[in-house]
Amino acid sequence: MIDRLLEQARRHADGGADALWRRVERTSVAFEWGRLKSAGVTEETGVNLRVRHGGRVGVAGTTAADASLADLVARALASAALGEAVDLPFPPRAPLPPVPTYFDRAGEASLDHLIQMGRGLLDRLAREGCRVNVALERETAETRVANSAGAAGSYRSTVIAVSADVWRIAGDDVLVLGDAFDGADLPSDAALHAIAASINTRLDRALTVVAPPEGALPVVCTPAGLAALLLPVTQALSGKAVLQGISPLAGKVGQGGVFDAAFSLSDDATCVGRPASRPIDDECVPSRVTRLVERGVVQRFIYDLETAARAKAQSTGHGQRGIFGKPVPGYTNVVLGPTPDGVGARHAVPLQLGGGLLANIRDGLLVDELIGVGQGNVIGGAFSHPVALAYRVDRGEITGRVKDAAVAGNVYELWKRVGGFGNDARWTGSRYAPSVLLEGVSVARR
Amino acid sequence: MIDRLTAALGRSRADYTEIRVERTWSTAVTFRGRRLESATASEDQGGFVRVLNRAAGWGVASFTSLDRLDAMVARAHELSRAVRVDPPIRLADVAPHRAEAMLDLDGDVRGVSLAEKKRLLEAYNGAMLAVSDRIVDTLATYRDEVSEYWFVNSDGTILHELRPEVTLSGTAVARRDGTIEKGLESVGLRRGWNSVQDGLAGFRTAAERAVQLLDAPMVKGGTYPVILDPELAGVFIHEAFGHLSEADFVYENPQARAMMTLGRRFGKPVLHVGDNGAAPGLRGTLPFDDEGTPTQDTPLITAGVLVGRLHSRETAATMDERPTGNARAVSFRHAPIVRMTNTYIGNGRGTFEDLIRDVKLGVYACSAFGGQTLLENFSFTAAYGQMIRDGHVAELIKDVVLAGNLFQTLDRIDHIAGDFRWNQMGGGCGKGGQYPLAVTEGAPHVRIEEALVGGDVPA
Repeated sequence: MIDRLLEQARRHADGGADALWRRVERTSVAFEWGRLKSAGVTEETGVNLRVRHGGRVGVAGTTAADASLADLVARALASAALGEAVDLPFPPRAPLPPVPTYFDRAGEASLDHLIQMGRGLLDRLAREGCRVNVALERETAETRVANSAGAAGSYRSTVIAVSADVWRIAGDDVLVLGDAFDGADLPSDAALHAIAASINTRLDRALTVVAPPEGALPVVCTPAGLAALLLPVTQALSGKAVLQGISPLAGKVGQGGVFDAAFSLSDDATCVGRPASRPIDDECVPSRVTRLVERGVVQRFIYDLETAARAKAQSTGHGQRGIFGKPVPGYTNVVLGPTPDGVGARHAVPLQLGGGLLANIRDGLLVDELIGVGQGNVIGGAFSHPVALAYRVDRGEITGRVKDAAVAGNVYELWKRVGGFGNDARWTGSRYAPSVLLEGVSVARR
Repeated sequence: MIDRLTAALGRSRADYTEIRVERTWSTAVTFRGRRLESATASEDQGGFVRVLNRAAGWGVASFTSLDRLDAMVARAHELSRAVRVDPPIRLADVAPHRAEAMLDLDGDVRGVSLAEKKRLLEAYNGAMLAVSDRIVDTLATYRDEVSEYWFVNSDGTILHELRPEVTLSGTAVARRDGTIEKGLESVGLRRGWNSVQDGLAGFRTAAERAVQLLDAPMVKGGTYPVILDPELAGVFIHEAFGHLSEADFVYENPQARAMMTLGRRFGKPVLHVGDNGAAPGLRGTLPFDDEGTPTQDTPLITAGVLVGRLHSRETAATMDERPTGNARAVSFRHAPIVRMTNTYIGNGRGTFEDLIRDVKLGVYACSAFGGQTLLENFSFTAAYGQMIRDGHVAELIKDVVLAGNLFQTLDRIDHIAGDFRWNQMGGGCGKGGQYPLAVTEGAPHVRIEEALVGGDVPA
């Protein structure tokens, strides 16, 4: 279908066109408060077209199956007529890396199989005084991208998402703890067991509530707890933020002293078994590993075609597009530290909370989840968040959960000196990271 | 369309079946800095089927190809039967309604060219850029839609609606050396083209505030008496309390139910809270929810005491209460779940000055960049704030983050002014993967005796 669409577009747009077609089917199962409640399916097909005409770029999208190609082309041209000039080169055909994205076992998993996995998790999480929600989803998708310069790619993909959360309400004390598996293949029994073990371990340690510490203290962030510390950095490493003049990392490429020498960050669109992996991005650029920060030194920013054209740079293969709107630069699999070896589906490894970083802490905090991450002026690096789930560390031991505490600081200051990386690296959504020890984080209590 | 849907309903073998179809035309224009980032027109359409059988669970299906309607009704039935449920799911009775509700389009946005929309936004964006050469970046967005909506269920309800929506938002980024500050203003209305013609002042305010914040000190962290402006007070009541009053949180969770027992005292007698899906002219207003239940004004807290909660047909039946018209879905891609509509803190007495008169040192927290609740704990980022010193509003401050425990904080609301207003902001509410849902919040100025304000924490 998109070949015919591009053929039509090419006849009207003098600067070429590209398009993305995607069909997604999803099957989901939900256990609500401990019991199986619903099962559902989704079927969605859509197409997104971009044209370049008279030096200007326009986009249009539709999910209407009966939409005429001519109408879609006309809407894209109308959008281009208003657009600003951008010298957008559609990339030529190039070899694609082999990235396995479709796993038969996942693609063929039955509804009953999903239900069984859910029941297994529920059994492992059952506990007096607690209620458990479990959701499972299997997605199969077909994606095709092509442009008028002859580049094209198509792939089938699978995604399995399993999540569980445990609610414990005692009086006015509400404790919610969860974990999830996201992968392109079915989780192994060990991976499912790891979700339960991760939740149970953290829950056991949270039953005792202790007073929070106060002051500038050592804080260990678990892989999940790192979100607030990495979000400003990934925002600042987007070529779009650089173009807008709001990235604190603009102009810092190649400079030392910005991050601790042990800090390395990359984006890997080719990791095996990850839902975000793909052989080609949504603008026909082949996938690759992008080293963003190497041993403390900023290497490059991520770009899609348009931001690259404006920045006089090359696309790094980070074009992401939905059915509506134009492509934007977006990350795939963000990896803190060395790239994971072998199969990328390493999950929840509850060796020991804190990844071995707690031993030398006299008085500090282990942070697993913060409230309000992503609010406010994120890219500037200053943050202040109440803890959703954090533990007090006293002479190397976790003594209990703290409530009514907030942590604050500036991520650029904190990343300058890292106290240590843990031995517990794992995937949390599309991020692979270990626990991290940071010194001198402000901890306030009420 | 109605005939097609009722025919499909007739062929369903399930005990209960509902079908929803939406067709949405939308346009979006975005400026970033001096550049037009995009101007697009989109068409989104699809359907949603949900069925229920005796001793079985929900079977649901969503799809973009309406040719698949019959197949999807059959598939939802199979899925329902594959899910054995005990005790059974019950739905509270709702009288069947037949209604055609064509809301006032107030200048049908479909009749306005993309070029005109671009011109309007270009003027607004230009007003932000013209404020100062310290404005290094802007983000101005215009979005409109008209959605045609059909709903039928096997109880006999047949609805056909036409719903407009328009949102404008302006973010200005000011920079001086390493300091970067943001100003944000937005408006969201269930109206059309005529309602967005006077947006200039709001955009200019956003840019002026961003520039002013460059010189503002970070608030010194600690506990203060805090006065919330109506906008932040509205966000607060939505986030910190509203979500707890959604019955899907409590209906099958005995501990949660105990925590949210009707009759429990939540605040001082000055506190009144409610949710009104039928309030005229607001973004969260619709005649019916997505289960076909008429919307209504539902008191949640009266004189400090918990008196009600928000329901779907399922949660109402389980708790033996009445449905309140709060089962909403963000689009045909999702099942309806319990959501807020227009949530408010009721009016008090007196003026803003009355609230600050006896405050020696306090914080006036205004507008919101965002807020998040994790049940009893919440965090809100005010867009800006001012110190209150000796009963008067003093210097501008930035990075005002309010954090706290819901129960303690509600109980510490000791004074509510009589200057209620609805905040017609853009954005929307997110829950269970459904975002952004059109909601509105409203409140007067509200005083909290003591609250934790994050910021520069002394080490």
